[in-house]
Amino acid sequence: MIRHINDMIPVKPATVLWALIRRDLLLGVRQKSQIYQPLVFQLLVVTMFPLGLGAGAKTLASIAPAVIWVLALLASLLTLDHIFKVDHEDGSLETYALSAVPLPASVLAKATAHWLLTGLPLTVFSPIIAVLMHLPESAFGVMMGSLLLGTPTISLIGAMGSALTMSLRHGGLLLTVLVMPLLAPVLIFGASAILESTLGNSASGQLLALTAILVFSLTLVPFAAATAIRINLE
Amino acid sequence: MNRLVKLYHQLGSPPTFYRITGKWLPWLFWAGVLLMLWGLYDGLFVAPIDYQQRESFKISYIHVPAAWMSMFIYLVMGISGFMALVWRMKVAEAILIASAPIGAIFTLLALVTGSLWGKPMWGTWWDWDARMTSELILLFLYIGVMATYNAYDDPRKGARVAALVAVIGLVNLPIIHFSVQWWSTIHQASTVSLFGQQHIPWSMLRGWLIMAIGTKLYYGYSVLKRARLLLLETEKHTVWVQKVIEQECQNA
Repeated sequence: MIRHINDMIPVKPATVLWALIRRDLLLGVRQKSQIYQPLVFQLLVVTMFPLGLGAGAKTLASIAPAVIWVLALLASLLTLDHIFKVDHEDGSLETYALSAVPLPASVLAKATAHWLLTGLPLTVFSPIIAVLMHLPESAFGVMMGSLLLGTPTISLIGAMGSALTMSLRHGGLLLTVLVMPLLAPVLIFGASAILESTLGNSASGQLLALTAILVFSLTLVPFAAATAIRINLE
Repeated sequence: MNRLVKLYHQLGSPPTFYRITGKWLPWLFWAGVLLMLWGLYDGLFVAPIDYQQRESFKISYIHVPAAWMSMFIYLVMGISGFMALVWRMKVAEAILIASAPIGAIFTLLALVTGSLWGKPMWGTWWDWDARMTSELILLFLYIGVMATYNAYDDPRKGARVAALVAVIGLVNLPIIHFSVQWWSTIHQASTVSLFGQQHIPWSMLRGWLIMAIGTKLYYGYSVLKRARLLLLETEKHTVWVQKVIEQECQNA
């Protein structure tokens, strides 16, 4: 018996999700702006710090952990708005909601694609920011590790924020208001991981806390975002 | 059926909610105001002066109840948000939306009085200590709920999205609180606990407790008053609202 249109087409959910990720990645790679804009933004803002501080190398190094993480947060915020907005505007979001693939899984796919397009480049690019901020080289490993563990949470919580605000015309500021408080723990543990490692201490506690937050977000955020999408599509 | 369960079901329907809560309002208001006046009198004039903090300790009779209320109201919002999402109760939505500004004001009051208290005690208006920071983040969460509701043209959709925002915030609140505690803190630790040794004499505690009950009753009055108005507005095309208005006109 055919209960649902998707029962007629024998497609595995994994194939659909992979297609979803691949589509977003292709769009990102072709448009490019989603990838390079956060990086250019970071570079621009990081230039302002020495200009404002008067090029004191010591001051720069001491604020580097905070600056690196705040920049990663702000640069990601620029791109969060688009996670669901475009799909909502062209109607493809409704097909995700109606498909046999669970909506939370589609949310996870969208967040994964977003992370591959922004979080991962930010992590790879971070040593350049670190060099500009005079961060000791011994802390580079921990810095990249903390970004690797923290940026996926930004993408997940950001996807939730984007789902909450997608049908609003000027939702950008609201998205920031909603997402920033939720990301405060990521910032705290991320920046303090780098700080501890510049002081020569072990940062494993902070990195484990970041991992815990990531696992927690992975399990709950897709459901919250899917609920938000369903409310918005009603 | 149990009377309490019956009352709960009755309160779920906007017209009955409007009728029943109308009778509660004056009681809640006067009980709340009188208790708060008594609590303030007890705290400001009767309670002994702290040997270390002197008179400035007395600001705590506003600061502590306000901080308690800021958390209590967020809890109410989270629970009514959950009810609004699961059972789509209009009354729960109204309670949620009505609570947000009251909670935000109590949070602001706690922050401002804390700042005024901090200046003579710590020598600074503001310090990024764990409790102050979580309270500030709580204010942001309140603003998020209010801004979400206002951003939507359709108030019911706005209320449902705001309900989800409140629930998400409630789940995240412990994480934010404990991660913020990673800094060493200058704020004094909790003095009042339900169980175990009390760190404060009864004569000083009494004012806080009276204020805590008084502010809760006042919140009850305020939230019901606001929720009733919200319901009148969202239900303005229904027969019961028209009847209410006709009655009000006859009484006037």
